[in-house]
Amino acid sequence: MVKYNKKKIIASVFLGLVIAILYLPIIWLIVFSFTNTTSISNWSGFSLDAYKELFAGASSGEIFSALCNTLFIALIASAISTILGTLAAIGINSLRNKRVKAAYSAVNQIPMVNSEIVSAIGLMLLFGLFKTLIPMQGNVEMVAVIFAHVAFCTPYVVLNVLPRIRQTDNKIYEAALDLGCTPWQALRKVVIPDIMPGIVMGFMMSVTLSVDDFVITNFTIDGFYTLSTLIYSKASGKKPLPIEMRALSAIIFIVILLIMLGITKANQKSKDTSKAVNK
Amino acid sequence: MKKFKTFTRKYLCLPYGIFMFVFIVMPLIILLMYAFSVKDGTGGLSFEFTFSNFASVFKSDNLAMLGRSLLIGLITTLICLVIGYPVAYLLADKKLRFGPTIVMLFMIPMWVNFLLRTLATKAMFEFIGIEMGMGTVIFGMVYNYLPFMIMPIYTTISKIDYSLVEGAADLGANALVTFRKVIFPLSVPGVLSGITMVFTPTITTFAISKLLSGSKISLIGDYIDLQVEYMNYNVAAAISLVIVLIVGISMLIVNKYDKDSSTMGGGLW
Repeated sequence: MVKYNKKKIIASVFLGLVIAILYLPIIWLIVFSFTNTTSISNWSGFSLDAYKELFAGASSGEIFSALCNTLFIALIASAISTILGTLAAIGINSLRNKRVKAAYSAVNQIPMVNSEIVSAIGLMLLFGLFKTLIPMQGNVEMVAVIFAHVAFCTPYVVLNVLPRIRQTDNKIYEAALDLGCTPWQALRKVVIPDIMPGIVMGFMMSVTLSVDDFVITNFTIDGFYTLSTLIYSKASGKKPLPIEMRALSAIIFIVILLIMLGITKANQKSKDTSKAVNK
Repeated sequence: MKKFKTFTRKYLCLPYGIFMFVFIVMPLIILLMYAFSVKDGTGGLSFEFTFSNFASVFKSDNLAMLGRSLLIGLITTLICLVIGYPVAYLLADKKLRFGPTIVMLFMIPMWVNFLLRTLATKAMFEFIGIEMGMGTVIFGMVYNYLPFMIMPIYTTISKIDYSLVEGAADLGANALVTFRKVIFPLSVPGVLSGITMVFTPTITTFAISKLLSGSKISLIGDYIDLQVEYMNYNVAAAISLVIVLIVGISMLIVNKYDKDSSTMGGGLW
């Protein structure tokens, strides 16, 4: 017993050290969003300047519109991905032809395996050709980014939904048809409710991937900003990071941290209750 | 009525089939066409066949850049493995009982945009006054991709049937032998997908090297970025194909040892 405790202490110290390194820059950024210095040599004490600058500064309009663009793209792209991917997963599961099935799963893998930058350049060139071939009007730039996001989100929806469909009994769908459902009714009332957890997971994953994306967005975007491209444009110059960006990053970190911890706790609780029920 | 009779579920994958062809297959075909054609001043396709794009990719100063990218990729992957394997092993050790919250702490950074994390490191280095260079770039890479090494290894080790470990102990193997003969061989698939998940993005990421070296060190990704900026789309396409080739070869090497690649995509959540 004593031996394990000793082992646990050593293990904890090691893991603690790695966690410290992983979180050091994040915590550093959060702490230093509460001061307005740009270097360690002139520490000026507590200040909320960064947050004032973020919410009511010269560039807060720009930051807010970037945030809106990010969320808009994420929601629309995820909704399209979820519908497209769910239908595709139902279809792929009922395909008899093994070759067609293999082709689907192979092409579906491409965006996940391929380097992001290669996909990005490919999409950029594709949209460029579209623009020269077909004269388009309106908010084409936004549509292009949304399609690019759908292209890398849908494969994950398919991968989340497909295992769910495999678990469901095919006969239930057929029974629904025999009992007089149209195929659409059978899908809506029998199949979809069965695979709902996979669909929800796919949607959430799409939102996360879309909000998080930088590389593909960076090469397909034109004329407006999302949060990640805005941050990049502010950070890639020679000048040090503007202080309002420090505040923005701090807020994003804390929001994500809380969401992820919340999900973990919720998962744990549902596991505990399901264990209790099983007993 | 006839329409409903002929409807079968397999038609539901048609929209995605068309979508995949246009937005996944076509971009790759277009890349291929750009890579092998002469530059058109407007950025369009010229349909004039040439190898010159590849010739300019493999110029001597670019070879150094390619080599540097591969070297940074290898070093980063190695460091991630050396730190990540013990972390994954300890997290998965059932006797040590590290809860899911601790595991989550290692995974959360993955959900924070890599740009933000790189920015945080950059700001920190700037603030402390550390000279930007090769060291800071490698730190940034390891820092960004370490969770991608820990996650698949952790998943495979925690899936190992614990009775195998107990059996080895019962049969007289000490902890070291058990690890060498039982746990490690069973964790190899996780190690291999960890290696691909770290190596591929490391050699192709742009932005990290640019931000953390003060634009001093440029890697393949930065080179593509630069070519796009100059509208040298044909050269950008050619080097993208070179990346596809490098990634393809490294995946072939990895897959040769990996019979169970299920940990790669499925473990993300």
